[in-house]
Amino acid sequence: MRPLRQDRIGDALSYLFLAITFLFFAWPLLWLLSLALRTRKEIFLGVSRLIPKAPTLENFGAILSSDKFAGYLWNALILSSCSAIGCLIVALPAAYAFSRFPFRGKGTWMMVLLAFQMISPLVIMVPLYRYMAALHLTDSHFGATMVYIALAVPMVTWILKGSIDGIPKSLDEAAVIDGCGHFSVFWRIILPLSAPGIASAFIISVIAGWSQFLVPFLLISKESLMPIGVGIFQYAGTQNDSSLQLLAAACLVSVVPAIVAFLALQRLILGAMTEGAVKG
Amino acid sequence: MMDASIAANGRQRIGRKADGRHSPSPLPWLMPLILVLGVFYLYPLLDVFRFAFTNVSLLGTDEVYTLQTIVTTLSKPELLQILWVTLVFTASSVVAQQFFGLFIALIVLHSEKRRLFGSTIVRTTALVAWVVPGIAGGIIWKMLFNEAPFGGLNSLLRLIGVPAVQWLSDPHMVMWSVVISNVWRGTAFSMVVMYAASKAIDPVLYEAAEVDGANPWQRLIYITLPQLRTAILVNMILITIQTLNTFDAIISLTGGGPGRATEVLSLYTFNVVFRNYDLAAGAVLSILMLTISLGLALVYARFLPRGEPS
Repeated sequence: MRPLRQDRIGDALSYLFLAITFLFFAWPLLWLLSLALRTRKEIFLGVSRLIPKAPTLENFGAILSSDKFAGYLWNALILSSCSAIGCLIVALPAAYAFSRFPFRGKGTWMMVLLAFQMISPLVIMVPLYRYMAALHLTDSHFGATMVYIALAVPMVTWILKGSIDGIPKSLDEAAVIDGCGHFSVFWRIILPLSAPGIASAFIISVIAGWSQFLVPFLLISKESLMPIGVGIFQYAGTQNDSSLQLLAAACLVSVVPAIVAFLALQRLILGAMTEGAVKG
Repeated sequence: MMDASIAANGRQRIGRKADGRHSPSPLPWLMPLILVLGVFYLYPLLDVFRFAFTNVSLLGTDEVYTLQTIVTTLSKPELLQILWVTLVFTASSVVAQQFFGLFIALIVLHSEKRRLFGSTIVRTTALVAWVVPGIAGGIIWKMLFNEAPFGGLNSLLRLIGVPAVQWLSDPHMVMWSVVISNVWRGTAFSMVVMYAASKAIDPVLYEAAEVDGANPWQRLIYITLPQLRTAILVNMILITIQTLNTFDAIISLTGGGPGRATEVLSLYTFNVVFRNYDLAAGAVLSILMLTISLGLALVYARFLPRGEPS
């Protein structure tokens, strides 16, 4: 009977740790939601309870109906989706070449690519700020998008290479024999077959773009062009304790799109991510 | 698909011809990548090195080549304090994220094996924290650490009868507050890596250990940890660099304060460039940051098993 009791103790301990872990990770978001549902009066009273006495959605209404926030969200959507598309355009052919072409120093080049990921964006932002100003690319979504692409493209290339590696080589060899050139192999075989990898790379770069702060913070000073990350930071700076409920609502609004995108495609993203991380 | 399979049959016949053909250059395929990285990454990176030898500021254009910037920037008395803060922040975050990530991964795996309820929920919740943008994470934690009665952590503490903590205003406490918020956001990454790596361990090893009468603790020490060695080191490299570069989560949580208690190197660099407009000093600090990450990566890499194809 001993193993059974041991198992039971193990299970009880596991439940305990699972509960603590859950509380640690969920508490901040639950508290954020709790604050966002409060009335101004309840914040002002400084009462601490998780479930608000008179929950209200009016904070969300106030945030979502303000032109400012709608603009921030729209800009973030534009920037992150355009840069994700740009990332795929740049990374897909490169991933194909890394996966299929024999060339010298391939491993080294892959490592060089990874090394870019080790450089803090802050390092390149210092001179980049001046270039962008000289090229009149500050206060432009195009300029910011190009920098987003450069920051995300090494990782995306790694992810895509991993998924193209998973396509049997015999398929494209066969197509070559059938008279396909490299481009039509890429277009007709590689692209359709790596669709799941492309989808996850796309979502990962959309989420990465959504959470960008530094690049738009430095390159965009016009409020009408700011994405949500910068907008919410500016907004937070102007709020005080008695308008906390509005800031909480704004924060939730900025966080939820990324979370929803992630939850919807969790399986795909995790697969791509662990493949890259474990191999890298 | 049909064309492909038919052609696959004929492959052996014509295969030699295809292999022996002059292989085309991958360059056109790599060109977009090289261009984007070259223009928006490599070129500014090289310029950082040039800037370090000048006195260039964010406002003026008069550049004089000089070693003075390097000397003054590196001999500033506050730099030591900044580096110490960075070290404490990075080391505690990395150790905590690695430890908790591994721990949670093992608990989740165990729970899955025993079919306990809730392991998927816990895993997903941790991952949701990971997706939260850094800037929003900082704002969220600022609300939690709020020392007013509606602060999310002090409310929780009051519930279990512990006196309130001055999370952000006590200069000794604030570093741990920042580390806690960073661990909240970063642990999921380590968890995913550790989870995937633990799952990849050959179950035969555990069966053999069980036959030999090893207890769970021995199985952890003699099988799991050695098998995870590579994954742990790779993960450590990745999270160290991530932590070292953390900037948005701190600027929105503490802004580096109170005083300079949480001003890490990345935030300091940012302040030097964009508050003091001192581009050249910022370039020197950027190079320092780069050197530290590369140095750490090399140190970790020395512990990686050699000759393994990856």
